[in-house]
Amino acid sequence: MTNNDDIITVSGLNVSYGESKVLFDVSMNVRPGQVVACVGRNGAGKTTLLKSIAGFLKPTSGAISSGTTNLIGMVAYVIAGLGIKYIPQDKKVFSDLTVRENLELGSYATKDYNWDQVTDYFPKLKQLMDHKAGYLSGGERQMLMIGRAILGSPKLLLVDEPTEGLAPSIVMHLKDVFRELSKKMALVIVEQNLPLVCAIANKVYALKEGRIMGELTDRESIRPEMCEKYL
Amino acid sequence: MNVLRWWWGLLLAFALLALLRVFLPLPFANEIIIFSIYVIGCNFLLGRVGFISFGQPAYLAVGAYGAAFYLYYFGTNAYVGILIGIAAGIIVSLAVGPLFVRLRSDYFALVNLALAVIIYYLMQKVLADITHGDNGLWFLTNLSSTPVLDISRPDQFFIFAFLVGFAVWAFYKYIDDSIFGACCLATKINEDKLRFLGYSSFNIRLLAFVIANTTTALAGAMYAVYLGFVSPEITSPARVADPVVVTILGGVGSLYGPIVGSIAYTGMKDLLSKTFGNWELIIGFLLVFIMLAGEKGIWGTLEPLLKKAFLRARATGDAADRGGSSR
Repeated sequence: MTNNDDIITVSGLNVSYGESKVLFDVSMNVRPGQVVACVGRNGAGKTTLLKSIAGFLKPTSGAISSGTTNLIGMVAYVIAGLGIKYIPQDKKVFSDLTVRENLELGSYATKDYNWDQVTDYFPKLKQLMDHKAGYLSGGERQMLMIGRAILGSPKLLLVDEPTEGLAPSIVMHLKDVFRELSKKMALVIVEQNLPLVCAIANKVYALKEGRIMGELTDRESIRPEMCEKYL
Repeated sequence: MNVLRWWWGLLLAFALLALLRVFLPLPFANEIIIFSIYVIGCNFLLGRVGFISFGQPAYLAVGAYGAAFYLYYFGTNAYVGILIGIAAGIIVSLAVGPLFVRLRSDYFALVNLALAVIIYYLMQKVLADITHGDNGLWFLTNLSSTPVLDISRPDQFFIFAFLVGFAVWAFYKYIDDSIFGACCLATKINEDKLRFLGYSSFNIRLLAFVIANTTTALAGAMYAVYLGFVSPEITSPARVADPVVVTILGGVGSLYGPIVGSIAYTGMKDLLSKTFGNWELIIGFLLVFIMLAGEKGIWGTLEPLLKKAFLRARATGDAADRGGSSR
């Protein structure tokens, strides 16, 4: 059911890649300040769900709305302009641009030039400003992508597999960052690292083969073993 | 933006162009400047936006015929002719751009090539009544003296071309250092991610396309005024690869590349055509050799060597200063 207060409401969403159907009747909602985790094995449809919300894939049926705004049919850059930012999982930054130029791209699009908020979360980026982004490590690239996305104070961050392939120390740092960010914006995090998402999420959707198999909504039940039951 | 580097670059470009006048015959110097302006648009499309275009002669012809129609049929002021050539470039780019920039790079190359062929046959056959077909339009004697710089005279045209070339170069330098330049590079690297940041990659590509092709049309209009003659040969299918070859020869993506490439290409053509009968064949082999020897192009190969030499000279100078002051 659509709630005007919801940042995102997805109902009855079906998405196909050509003949191959990937999402089956998926419904979910995200309220302000919530950290929502989508967990599931590879191929469960988690990334497809995020890309559909971000306007990158056109659903075959179903509805996606933000408050009273219908997002179906909107192109990705317009949805980003509404404050719904997608951080893809491949950690590919604009490699030929410097860190500063990458941040400038984020700033110019949102008219938010306050980089202190970025360097407060990721102090290391300060020293890397004039480095080409292509030379950054995986963790530094993830910091840059998150930093660039939070410029303009979006209302929702869609984060796809943020910890994949990163060192444990960076994963811990990102966990703290997500906790802090959740005080200012809602987050939807797609992740296979169950202990991490269970530590920060208010709500968990478990996906399997394109369907939502379970929804955990109270802190007591959000535990890795409970999530695994559905996967 | 590194202001020092910016001015250093401008000075270097200025010095390079000034050398043309001192050491080279006037027609050759004019040819190099106009050709540099022609190639800089192609270099921007290829190096910044990732579009390879085999249709640049089409936009060159649009600018040239825009100026030529005015100067042959309507007026005598070469400045106005050039402005009309630029306007024609903008109109045609805006007319075809929304269709062309949606295409991927390989299809983009081919659709532009098709446009060049269409314009060639339009000018040669379909519109022969007004373009005089292969005979072309001759209007050198129609040109009146222009105020400030009389660009109907080759020596004053050189100063004009020099200033225009300088302004175009500075404009592209400004774009390269701007957010728009970063957006162009970003759309070349990963268009999808640019959309996730809230940018319309279509708008960015369209603007880049219009800017590049208007620059090419400007070069076309300047050719028309300088030669006082335009024929369909300007967009001949045999010449569609010229700007791409010169871009790659000079060094893709660098603003010095088009200047260096134009000097090398025009120089080779001039030198070889005076000496050998089948000079095009020799140019072909030379280009293959140059590409294989340094796939970054002439400037791309020279730049690191020059930087290294510059740093070594500076280190030697600093050491000598320290030695002198300690004594």
